[in-house]
Amino acid sequence: MVGDALWYEAAQVVGITNALNVGADGLGAAGLTPVEPARASAEVRAVFEDIQAFYGSAEVPAPFGLIAHDPGYLADVWAATRHAFSDNRLSRRLKEALAFAVSLTSRSAFGSAFHLAEMRRLGVGERGVMEVIGVTQMFSSYTKIADTLALEPDMADMAPVDPTPAPGS
Amino acid sequence: MPTVRLRDESEYPQGVRKLFELSKEWFGHDFKQPPAMSRVMAWDPGFGGPHGRAMKRAMGPGEFSRGEKEMVAAAVSGVNACHY
Repeated sequence: MVGDALWYEAAQVVGITNALNVGADGLGAAGLTPVEPARASAEVRAVFEDIQAFYGSAEVPAPFGLIAHDPGYLADVWAATRHAFSDNRLSRRLKEALAFAVSLTSRSAFGSAFHLAEMRRLGVGERGVMEVIGVTQMFSSYTKIADTLALEPDMADMAPVDPTPAPGS
Repeated sequence: MPTVRLRDESEYPQGVRKLFELSKEWFGHDFKQPPAMSRVMAWDPGFGGPHGRAMKRAMGPGEFSRGEKEMVAAAVSGVNACHY
């Protein structure tokens, strides 16, 4: 996992996963209803169809239906999500594992169930699921021990600095 | 500033210091002092031992590589807003 590009990709997954979970867990509970595909405008339906194809499902995941009341916003959030979760330097399989770990850690009921299902759909077996659960639990423990004792970072210089410039420069 | 005084490696009993060698092997890095977390976990081997074994079991190669799992661990630490 050497080089900054991998970590930028991981950060995108963590960020957008949190955004989707906030919408799904919060907006549904707040009583906002999702836009039904059958009643959606042509603009929203086109985005929904891309979402359904990406996830190989007839369902539109809750976070997207809930924000489809603003078609332009939906399109932008979906574009960012699709970009973040597509195979790139990191595999989509690993990205779903990251999203599952993030969702478990942030106690998102929607995200935990959704990304667990996606991991399995992408071929992760029960052993792999337990591996991600184990890492999530153990590092949720280490982090709280470190915070309780106010430990200062002392491992930052283990990895080499990536001297490459920003993309496109 | 830590809320406890982190003991120097030399202050730990010989048997516990062997664990610090394992820690160096695990990270593949020759630390001047064992990492603070290693020294904290070595304080009480009754807790640190099984906790460390559970961590190694979870982090070992399986369906996901060690590197992939380190990335998952970093993401979990980030969500937990852990500075360490």
